[in-house]
Amino acid sequence: MTDVTPERTKTVLIVDDSRVSRMMARQYILHLQPGWNVVEAGTGEESLDKARAALPDLVLMDVNMPGMGGIAAAEQLRRLAPALPISLLTANVQSATRERAEALGLGFMEKPITEARIAQLLALAGG
Amino acid sequence: MTTVREPSLDLLHSVLNAVTLGAVVLDHDRRVVLWNDWMSEHAQIPQQQALGADFLALFPALRGSRVDAAIDQALRHHFPSLLSQSLNKAPFPLYANAAAARLDERLQQAVAVTPVDVVDGGRHCLIQITDVSIAVGREKLLREQTLVLRSQTFADGLTGIANRRHFDVAIEREHRRARRHGTPLSLLMIDIDHFKAYNDHYGHQKGDQCLIQVAAALSGMLKRSADLMARYGGEEFAMILPDTDTAQATQMAEAIRARAEALAIAHAHGGASGVVTVSIGVATRSVASAVNIDTLIGAADRALYRAKKNGRNRVEAQTPG
Amino acid sequence: MVELSELENDALIEIFNIGVGQAAASMSALVSEEVRMSVPSISFISRADAARLLGSRLAAEAEAPDRICGVSQHYEGAFDTDAILMFPEDKSLELVRLMVGETVPLQELTDMEQEAMCEIGNIILNACIGTLANVFEQELRGSLPEYHVGTSDEILGVSGSEPDSVVLMLHIDFALDKHQILGYVAFVLDISALHDLKEQINRYIARAMGQA
Repeated sequence: MTDVTPERTKTVLIVDDSRVSRMMARQYILHLQPGWNVVEAGTGEESLDKARAALPDLVLMDVNMPGMGGIAAAEQLRRLAPALPISLLTANVQSATRERAEALGLGFMEKPITEARIAQLLALAGG
Repeated sequence: MTTVREPSLDLLHSVLNAVTLGAVVLDHDRRVVLWNDWMSEHAQIPQQQALGADFLALFPALRGSRVDAAIDQALRHHFPSLLSQSLNKAPFPLYANAAAARLDERLQQAVAVTPVDVVDGGRHCLIQITDVSIAVGREKLLREQTLVLRSQTFADGLTGIANRRHFDVAIEREHRRARRHGTPLSLLMIDIDHFKAYNDHYGHQKGDQCLIQVAAALSGMLKRSADLMARYGGEEFAMILPDTDTAQATQMAEAIRARAEALAIAHAHGGASGVVTVSIGVATRSVASAVNIDTLIGAADRALYRAKKNGRNRVEAQTPG
Repeated sequence: MVELSELENDALIEIFNIGVGQAAASMSALVSEEVRMSVPSISFISRADAARLLGSRLAAEAEAPDRICGVSQHYEGAFDTDAILMFPEDKSLELVRLMVGETVPLQELTDMEQEAMCEIGNIILNACIGTLANVFEQELRGSLPEYHVGTSDEILGVSGSEPDSVVLMLHIDFALDKHQILGYVAFVLDISALHDLKEQINRYIARAMGQA
């Protein structure tokens, strides 16, 4: 297990159309930071509603989702909250996607989700 | 019962260095533990230098490449990988000889990366490299020859109807016959209207489809064996109608024009009809106007030009001479 | 027939999407162009039904309904399966042309292009099974790819499996430039392989729910 200093309660918003993915992410996050709050959304549209309600400190956004895709949703979130750390999660790491992420000021993480990768991402929220 | 003798280490060693392909084995830390003579010769890296070296230290340009990923797959997942020569152009710096090396003319390579388990040694990775330059060269030659052959046949590669070569031969033959027997010979020049706009708007693949469709529909209207429809240019077709006078040819041309329009190939950026149409120029060589081939073609062309000028999707006839 | 719970279905689709996503990244690196691949759906069906489905589905879009190209690899370890990537022949030619960038007419599938198809199969199948192996935290060994052409029945039967074997069928959506190509990946599983696979999926889900 990676060494992470427990912080005051923070909220992570995990957005993925796969319920199993969300469950795994939740497991890893709570394992690393037991006191934190995890909010889930299954679509890009839902993520915007949840973000406005929960005001997360970190957003993990799956790219490959039906309807409003992850990048479009991330773009909108970026406009709502310019300083919010948003990280895209994708298995398809290509320079085109990477460039788009950088241009929008988004982070980038490869799938599959592992505890080590989650730990790296939590660090973005100061965890 | 005969006892089976395992091949001696010396024998294996000799064979490994005699095979005409590159064999490299990496241990779990990606260090070279086997490097055969073929590799020494073609990579121009002697065995002493290669053994124990880190793979990427020997081939730094391969970092992050498909070879790199394949080695990973073999060592981590125990999966073999195939690197085809068409998708991976000569990944390793391997040369036929020193002269080729100077010009950086690499061997064409087929690469296979396979996991190998070594007793008390853990997982290793075998990289096999085969020189396929000859096969590649042969393929290239075959392709070139096919292209040459195709141009020597009489069929247009895209539409399958007669090509320009065929037309040239046919018009000469029919002109000679018409001259000899005093029979009329008609020529139709058919051009697809606004074809460039079609290509620009719908793309070249659809443009090709359109040509194929039109060619098929129109050539299907030919009735007699001596009639010929050929692809004369990019979007231009020529139809040779022996024993046909101007009135008959014009009638045929009108039927063709209507048939093309009836195909109803949507063309939002063409004429008023909203579908693909053709313009047709008609010219007839007769006893009364006994012109040569060039003049006949010129007349049909001028008629075509008039058809375009007068609004397209129409037929115009021109008396040659 | 095998019924998947919603969670099991979800887990497998997510795993395979990760797999083909990685395969797309590899293929993109080969052609220096953006490649997108996804698995919109999966299903468990009998081998006979799979052959029928492929025959009709692929034939609807293909020119020659009996000509299907398949690239197969055998895997064993945590479970045994023959994995087969399939496209109608003209689609596989189109795919190879897109990847290789040659302007050769569709009718001429040469040895070199067959080899390219083998590599494409190798990349996609290794990525799919590799991801499974990863998330299951299990070991699997694979074989080198083999190329086949024939009817869907012939292709699915290459492993010598029984007609009542189960096939885990993946729809694959492949996109490069403005081209979209639909194909299938079939994992042929006998009874024990199916059992092993289900066991692995459930263990994975238990871990995801924090119960392992």
